Order: sequence, then C-alpha cells, then structure tokens
Amino acid sequence: MSLYQAALVFVVFAPGMVFVVFALLWLLGWAPAERILSRTTGVTFSACALALVMIIRALAPTRSLPVVVTFGNWFAVHDYHFPLVLMADRLSLPFLIMTVLLSGLIGQFSVTYLHRDRGFLRFFLLLNLFAFGSLLAFAAGSFDLLVGGWEIVGITSVLLIGFFQQRPSPVENGLRVYAVYRACDIGLLVGVFVIYHWANTTVFVGGLPKLTGSRALIACMLLLLAAAGKAAQVPFSGWLPRAMEGPTPSSAIFYGAISIHAGAYLLLRVQPMLAESRLASLAVVLIGLATALYGTITGRASADAKTSLAYASLTQVGIVFVEIGVGWKSIAVAHILGHATVRTLQFLRAPSMLHDYHQMQSAVGGELSPTGRHLEEMFPERLQLWLYRWALDRGHLDTILDRWLIQPVLRLSGIFTRLDGLGLGHVSTRQQGRA
Amino acid sequence: MPSRPLILTATAIVVPWLAAALAALVRKNARVIGFVAALLSAVASGALLRGTPATVSLNEALMLLFSCLTLGATLVLPRRDCTPGTIAGILFLLGSTLLAYSAKNLLVLLAAWVLTTVPFCREQWFGSATWRPRVGLLISCVALAAATGRIAAGGHDMSIDHLKGLGPGGTSVFILLVLAVVFRKGICPAHAWVADAAEGGPAIPTALLLNGHLGALLVAKLIMPLFPHPAKDLFPVLSYLALATALYVAIRALTENSPRRLLAFVALSQSACILAGLESGTPEGITGALVHWFVVTVSTMGLFGILRLLEVRFGENLTASTHLGLSEHAPRLAVFFVVFGLALVGLPGTLSFCSQDLLIHGTLASHPQTGLLLPLATAMNAVSIFRLFTRLFLGKRRTGFTVMADALPRERWILTAGVLFVVLGGLFPNAFIALQTEEEIVEQAIYRPVCQYLGPMFPRAFRHAQVAAPESSYPATSPAA
Repeated sequence: MSLYQAALVFVVFAPGMVFVVFALLWLLGWAPAERILSRTTGVTFSACALALVMIIRALAPTRSLPVVVTFGNWFAVHDYHFPLVLMADRLSLPFLIMTVLLSGLIGQFSVTYLHRDRGFLRFFLLLNLFAFGSLLAFAAGSFDLLVGGWEIVGITSVLLIGFFQQRPSPVENGLRVYAVYRACDIGLLVGVFVIYHWANTTVFVGGLPKLTGSRALIACMLLLLAAAGKAAQVPFSGWLPRAMEGPTPSSAIFYGAISIHAGAYLLLRVQPMLAESRLASLAVVLIGLATALYGTITGRASADAKTSLAYASLTQVGIVFVEIGVGWKSIAVAHILGHATVRTLQFLRAPSMLHDYHQMQSAVGGELSPTGRHLEEMFPERLQLWLYRWALDRGHLDTILDRWLIQPVLRLSGIFTRLDGLGLGHVSTRQQGRA
Repeated sequence: MPSRPLILTATAIVVPWLAAALAALVRKNARVIGFVAALLSAVASGALLRGTPATVSLNEALMLLFSCLTLGATLVLPRRDCTPGTIAGILFLLGSTLLAYSAKNLLVLLAAWVLTTVPFCREQWFGSATWRPRVGLLISCVALAAATGRIAAGGHDMSIDHLKGLGPGGTSVFILLVLAVVFRKGICPAHAWVADAAEGGPAIPTALLLNGHLGALLVAKLIMPLFPHPAKDLFPVLSYLALATALYVAIRALTENSPRRLLAFVALSQSACILAGLESGTPEGITGALVHWFVVTVSTMGLFGILRLLEVRFGENLTASTHLGLSEHAPRLAVFFVVFGLALVGLPGTLSFCSQDLLIHGTLASHPQTGLLLPLATAMNAVSIFRLFTRLFLGKRRTGFTVMADALPRERWILTAGVLFVVLGGLFPNAFIALQTEEEIVEQAIYRPVCQYLGPMFPRAFRHAQVAAPESSYPATSPAA
C-alpha cells in the first residue's frame, strides 16, 4: 500500500475509530472529560485534513487520480462478492475535503456551543460517526459500500434530530425522518441489486457498470428515489423543517452542508448512466425544478431562522438536481461546494442572527430592505394569498403523505390487530393491568 | 469406547439436564448452578466445534451459540426472576435444544422437539390467559409426530442421512412437516401465538424458546434434503408465506403499543426472513439466512433481556404509547437497546448488514416480485424498533422511581459481549459466512438438491449453479437419477 492509499484509508476510518473507542469505553463505565473528547476530535480532523492535503499535493501535478485502495472482498458467497474498494477521484475528493473541513469546524464550534450540555459526549460521538459514514459514502468504490455509509449518515442524522430528548416533538420528528429515510432507502437497496443483477458488478472504479435503455431507466429511477429522500426533494420535502429540531451545529452540517448533498452526490456518481436515459434525466430535472420552486415559495412563509435557511438550502439543492439532470456535472460540484460553505456559516450564525441584524442596521443607519419582494408582487393578489396559504401548510406535502400513505398503512395495521384478536374472548392479564 | 465428539455432545446436552434437576431439588444458588452448567455446555460445544471440520460445522456452531446465549441469560436474568424453577426450565430447554441441533435420527429430533416445549407447560410460565402458545406448540408437535409416524410406518430407516432425497411418505409427510414449521415458527396464519407467548410468558425463557429457531432447523435439516421433489411445486408457496409473514407482522407491529408484543412481531418478521432466504434456493439467500439466524438470535435475546431489566426497574406496565424518558435513568441500557435493535434490521457495521444484503440479493434473484417484500418489511421493522426505542427511552425524565440503577456490571459485561458479537461479526463476516458457504449442509443437503429440481424452473436464479451428479447415497428412485 502506497503512502497515498494509506492516507485515504486513514481519512475514512479515523473518525470511525474515535467513535468506536470512546463508545466502548463509555459502555464499560468510563465517562471521558469534555476536553479529552473535543481535543481528540480536533486532532483527528486536523490529521485527516493534513492527509488530504498530502494526497492533493502529491497527485495534483501528475494528475494521477484516482487513488484506489482495494481490500479484496468483505465477504463472498459463490459468485456474489461484496467488494471493499475505497476511491478518491475528481468527484469524491472535493466531497471528502468538504466533509473533513466542515466536520472539524463544527466540532470546534460545538466545544463552546455545547459546553456542559448533558449531551456533549453523545453529540461528539455522533459527529464522529456521521463523519465516518459520510467519508465512507463519498470514498466508496462500489455501490455496496456506498449503501453502508449512506445508512450510517441516516441514523446519525435521526439521532441528532432527537438530541433534545426531553421534549417529545424532536423525538417524534426524528422518528418521522427515519421513516422517510428507510422508505426511500428501499430504492437504493433495490437499485444496487438491479445494477448487480444486470451488470454483474457494483464496482464503479474505472467507470460505471454499463446499463442502457430500460435497464438504465429502472436503475436510475430507483436511485433517484433514494437521492430524493435523502435530499428532501419533492414529494419528500416535509421532513426537512422537522429536522431543524436538532442542535444548530448538527443542522448546519447535516442540512446545510453534507447530508443534504449526499443525494446529489449519488446522482453525480451515476450521471453517465443517467445520461443513457432521457426519461430518468427528465425526472431528475422536474423533481429539482419542483423542489426549487417549492423551497423558495414555502421558505418565504417560514417564521423562524433555521427553517428559512432549510428551505433556502432546499431551493439550492433543487437547482443542483436540475444541473445534474441536464448534465452540467462540474457546475453542480462547484455549486454544492459553494452552497455548503455559505449555508454552514449561515446556520452557525443563526442563533445570533438578531444580534447580527442589529449591528448591520446600526452600520447602515436604518432598516435593511428586504430582498425578493418584487418577485412576489408580480403575481395577482389572489394568487399571492393562495400561495401564502399553500406555503403556510408547507405545500400540503405532509398532509398528502399522511392521507394517502401513512394513514392507510396504519389502518391496515389496525385491521390486522383486530384479525389477531379474533377468537380471543379475553384480554391478557398484562393488558388488563395497563387498562 | 465412545468417540470424542459423542462424549462432548453428550456433555453439552446432559450437563444442563442434570443441573436442571439439581436446581429443582436443591432450590438454592440457582444462578450459580445455571451459570456453571451453561458454561460447561458452552465449553463442550466449543470443543466440539473446534474438533469439527469447518465444512460440516453448522450444527456445532448453533450449539455453541445457543449455550452461550443461555449462559448470558443466566447472568442477565433479574434477581426477581432467578428462581430455581426458572433456572431449571432454562437449563432443560438448553439441553433439549442442543439435542435437536445434534440429532441425526428422526425419532431423536421428534423427542427434542417435544422436550423443548415441556417447560412451557408450567402454569407459571404460560398463564391460563394465553392458550394460543400452548395450542401452537401442541399442533407443531402433533404434526411432527404424525410425519415421523408415517415415515416409520413406511418401513424407512429413521436416520436422517439415510432418508436424504427419498421423499419418505410422500406429499402427506411433506405437508405435515411444513405444518410443524408453520406452527412452530409462527408463520401466518399461525403467528399470533408468538406475540401471546412473549406477552404472557416469562420474557427471557420465551426469548430462548423462540431463538432456538427449530422451525428453520426443520426446514434446513429435514424438509429440504429429504423432499427435493415435492419442493419443486410447494417451495415457492412456503417462500411466499414466509415473505407474507415478514410483511404482515411488520405492518402489525407499526401500531402495537405493548413493548413485548412489538418486539415479538419484529423478531418474528426477521425470523420469517430466515425462512424466506432458506427457501429462495440461491446460495446468497441460503447463506444470508444462516448468518441472519445468528444475528436474530443474539439481537432479539439482547432486546428481550433489556426489556425485562427495564420492567424490573420501572414497572411491568411499560408501554410504547407515550414517551417514558428512561434513558435519563438507564443511559447504557438505552444504548444497548438501540444497538441491538438496529443490528436486527441491518445497521451497517453489524453482522445483519451482511445478512440482509445477502438475503435481499437471494430473495430478489429467486422471486423478483415478492422479493421486494423483504426490504419493505425490514424498513417497517426498523421504524417499529426505532419507535419503541424513542418511546421507552426518550422524552421527559420520569420521577418517582426508587430504583435508578443503570445496567449492573454483570449485565453490562454480558450485553457488551453481545454488542461486540454483532459488531465484530459485521466487521469480519467471513468468519460466519465461511461456516456456511463451504458448508456441506448447504452444498449437499440444501443447495444441490434444490438446484437440481428448481434449476429448470428458475434458470436465472440458478445460472451460476454447477449442478453436480447426485451423490451415491442418493436413491435411484430420485427423479434426477
């Protein structure tokens, strides 16, 4: 293994190791001090950043990307293999850099922000786990491995939404987000299966598995389902404002920077396959456009800073989807990097937004003029009113999902409960106790 | 002079039975007796596994797993439950289950099958309010006994090895065996007894009973090797039933508020995935099912154990209808619960991620339409288990408890061992998969006959299968011959 390959392995696995070591020690009874945990996290991300710099400095002049590390198969059954391949190419390297820098930054910010908070240890453990999951997803050289990182990002995201666990609302919102994630991840699981089934490999080092025509369409549509769920695209956008219940640093890194762009990364990764199917590309463009419009309209009726920022984020990710759909890969990557950086800053400043505004207003000597109002005034007044009501209920997306998907499934569950009770002329003793 | 494997097998089985009798008679130091007996059984099973070639070691691995599980149960069992009767019942169950795993004769298997249900005939274990578990277990015993009787009446040798491929007794015996599996495993429409047993019975012994997975054992050990021909027509039906059960109970769990019932439904749904994988007939599906067997066993045991610990600390009327905020009192139990729960439904980094991956590939390859039910059921189970976690552990801190203890050291160490098992198993899954992929039982007992008969029906699923000529032990009456 060369030095660059070792550096790539270190970058991906270092945060995971921090998580495993501290979590195990805690389970066995040791509670680390804040300083030990924060410094370890800081040192880890600094070392990861240095390792990435080393890779870039060494490889940029010779343009000898990608760096590929093959560990063989994680497991193999007859002809089926789960390949363990890490890769840093022109697409994944910017995402790796973004993840390491922003995770380190958020870690440092949170040292003060969460000082003496009861969940300090929990937050830092989950931050390290999240960074590991993201790095694994971005550095994966096969779809199988990408699924692993993808799922870890999902579960850490949900656990951090319910960070303030004493209040029921963040906990319930976390559960809702988890349900959406898991439902959409079916698309990823089945999509990876069909790619393997038709191409006999899930490895994309050296190029995507070749699929064309209806096969490309089916695979892309399944992956689009997963990407749309993770990136909160229409019709799954309802979970995004719910996710704002988490602590501000986690909102910044998840929904301003990394997690929200994971769906776009997946589509960028399969863009050559997407280009093989006009229908799939059109679907990506339409979903992106719908989300951008939805985000900008709904965001204008949001009453709190974080939700407004979340919808602004959604609008930009929608535009990124459009860029991917029409094949502008480089523009999409640049857009993601710029957007993630700016949005993280905005999220981190959100708790002191009023203070910032006061300072700005003092500096300009009066109130700041609101932006974008002229666009709204272009519409007739009745339409403005209708849009306002529509935006207040967040586009009725949650209502539609509730009415047409969740409630029918729960009703079905109720019917099954009654069926199970048939023939029982009694209630069990435990149930009687509860009643 | 008996051989070393025979001595070790006998030790693993008889020691728990003797210890059960001792615990019931002495009525003192029950936990110590249980621990020592389970430890001896585990050591004997471990020695047996070590001395067995890796290619034929599935039964020995299952014996070691179950004895380790019982060892853990004797440590986790709360003091309130640690009565001589309970310990004796658990040890009796251990001996009987190991007998079923090691049985090479149909009559021995029948005896073990019946013996595992004996402790649950006690009034204290399944109270009078829960009649369905008794009926379910009784029907499964009767069905297996009837099947064995029909085979014996046909004048066949009762050795399982000698019966392979013969299809003894024809379709009627096959149907009786399937009936035994359906009732023992809780496949729809006979699923309700599992939840009743979990709700009304003692949590940890019931979890042990369910985690013996004797229904899956019967499929892997008896039905598939003995009846390759009827399997051609009826296997898809059983597979669809298993997938339907996985989905049905997953949907059922979504609105369940009793933690025990909810856990039972999720465990049942995941257990049905084992059956679906076995019946997929693909190497991925079969291997995934056997690996998933280990995962489901350890995870559900851990979950039921933690739930019982919570009941002892915070009252028996726990519910998932409201947030109880127990993580403030028991943060480590909360972490153990979420790890075991998510490990059951495919959390990356745990062994179930590998098994689910294999299961999904296997079932989708053999049944492209119905195979979709598996990821759907797993997603619903994940939501249910996460809902239970949030309701039990998150929310406003409760007051008024006199006992605030988190996991005690003995509980903590054994639960950590369980977590390490699922995590290390996930990091190094080949240790488990090697047990299965090069496994004679997969190649000869399951995979090869299935390939022979199902291959022409599902050419795509079996495209990689190298269907070898039948073994010489296979009968000349076999259709392939």
